[in-house]
Amino acid sequence: MTVTSATGTMRIVRPRRVIRRSEAKWTWLLVGVIAAILLIWEAAVSWLQLIPASFLPPPTAIAVSFGKLLVDPEFWGAFGYSLGNVAIGLVIAVVVGVTVGLAVGWSPVLRFTVAPFLWLLYSTPKVALAPLFILGLGLGSESKIALVFLLAVFPIILNTMEGAVTVSTSLVNAGRVYGVNGVALGWKIIVPATLPYSLSGIQRGAALGFTGEVLGEFLGGTGGLGHMLEYAAYQFQMDDAIAMVIVMVIIANLTLLLISTLRRRLAPWYDDRKIAGAS
Amino acid sequence: MTTTSIERNEAGAPLISVRDLSVSYDVARTGKRLTAIEGVDLDVHEGEFITVLGPSGCGKTTFMNVVAGLVKPTTGTVLVGGSPVTGPGPDRAVVFQDYALLPWRTVFDNVKFGLEMQKELKGAGWRERVQDAIELVGLAGFEQSYPRELSGGMQQRVGLARAVVAEPRILLMDEPLGAVDALTREVMRDEIEKLMAATGKTVLFITHSIEEAILLGDRIVVFKSHPGAIKEIIETGLERPRSERSIQHDPRFLELRDHLWDALQGEATAAAVSK
Repeated sequence: MTVTSATGTMRIVRPRRVIRRSEAKWTWLLVGVIAAILLIWEAAVSWLQLIPASFLPPPTAIAVSFGKLLVDPEFWGAFGYSLGNVAIGLVIAVVVGVTVGLAVGWSPVLRFTVAPFLWLLYSTPKVALAPLFILGLGLGSESKIALVFLLAVFPIILNTMEGAVTVSTSLVNAGRVYGVNGVALGWKIIVPATLPYSLSGIQRGAALGFTGEVLGEFLGGTGGLGHMLEYAAYQFQMDDAIAMVIVMVIIANLTLLLISTLRRRLAPWYDDRKIAGAS
Repeated sequence: MTTTSIERNEAGAPLISVRDLSVSYDVARTGKRLTAIEGVDLDVHEGEFITVLGPSGCGKTTFMNVVAGLVKPTTGTVLVGGSPVTGPGPDRAVVFQDYALLPWRTVFDNVKFGLEMQKELKGAGWRERVQDAIELVGLAGFEQSYPRELSGGMQQRVGLARAVVAEPRILLMDEPLGAVDALTREVMRDEIEKLMAATGKTVLFITHSIEEAILLGDRIVVFKSHPGAIKEIIETGLERPRSERSIQHDPRFLELRDHLWDALQGEATAAAVSK
């Protein structure tokens, strides 16, 4: 396109958007590999009977169990219970994590006093605390929410902190030059610049939080997907148990997909590759 | 060095007045005190285009940051329009070497950023102002693009539009063309020359390119390093309008270039030896 400016005419060509290379080829390869594994599995169990079906049910049996689960009201009750707990724990973790992360990242005093403890807690295996939570908060939702929160909050804090620390000084200077100060500086520069980091932490936190929920239900729960899975396993209903695991895999991946989509929508300027290494 | 006087309003007080300016700070890693600039005196008059030329690390960016209000002077004073600089202000805008655009904002919103904190400018007509600034730098049609979709040269045009949108009296440019490719740089030098001649703004332009300093400047302030200080001030005395091509064979240009080359060569060698 040609544009006329005060400085004379000049041509500027709109840069072509980067076209994402088609990955269809690889998708088909992946589908092929999965199909092959399922086929070998089915053959080994149902046709060749190399493994007893009671230990490892064939894919067809699991598919049947999976189908039954989807029409089972008890399953949907457990589904709602677990996801409700995860959602509540995660929301609290996001609020606390982003607030603490921004504060610690922004204030040098907090960074030198609080941050070492955060790293220490982050590297502590927090699942070890699960029995304590159940003892302290009971078998109900509270202990699960607490566990979700505890597991999810640290990646959110630390990622947000890293984001706040690494905001480019020239962006801050640009803000100051154009009159942005104090709270406005935080709101207009620091928070948006940190957002992709926070979202990356939230993504990691969500995955850990879901693990926390299921673990809590295993160790002592009155309901939920983890509880149902444990029950199926104790009853030696391996097809049901594996179907439950597949449900969890699907939930976990949908959550990750949702958050990474959100990240692309909210922070399209951020290069995913740059954040991959962020803890 | 012979100087040719150029037409400019010298009747009033200088717009920028720098007296005995020094900036030094403690380096935490070595525990030493580092003097970035020392004893800088400079008067800049309304409408003057000053290029500040020097090797890297000579403190010219620090000097500009003090005038911008981003760095506090250790000793000495900087007056802008007669009053001391205590911080950034709407009378001074900065064009950054790395553009410093907000990646989450479109071109339009980035340019708008230049005036959104100034209440008096947020009244009716601000949209037109933003649009005018975008058209001024030749980016009409790209209002809704994001910085990442633009080339380096185009991003710097956004930086330029953001700086001029609120019509500051002084434009501070910190090696604005340092990060754009060579061809774009030549085109943009000519554009900045025309743009500034048209708007009559007072400009402090930091560069380490001799050609750039001559092409753009009314006066060239040559910095030396260790510590950073003014080595000499030269009036270019070249006719305006100038362009990369028109001054290329001008004897005055060649004379200035040789002189500055010798001056900087000595500096660069001195800097290399002292390291």
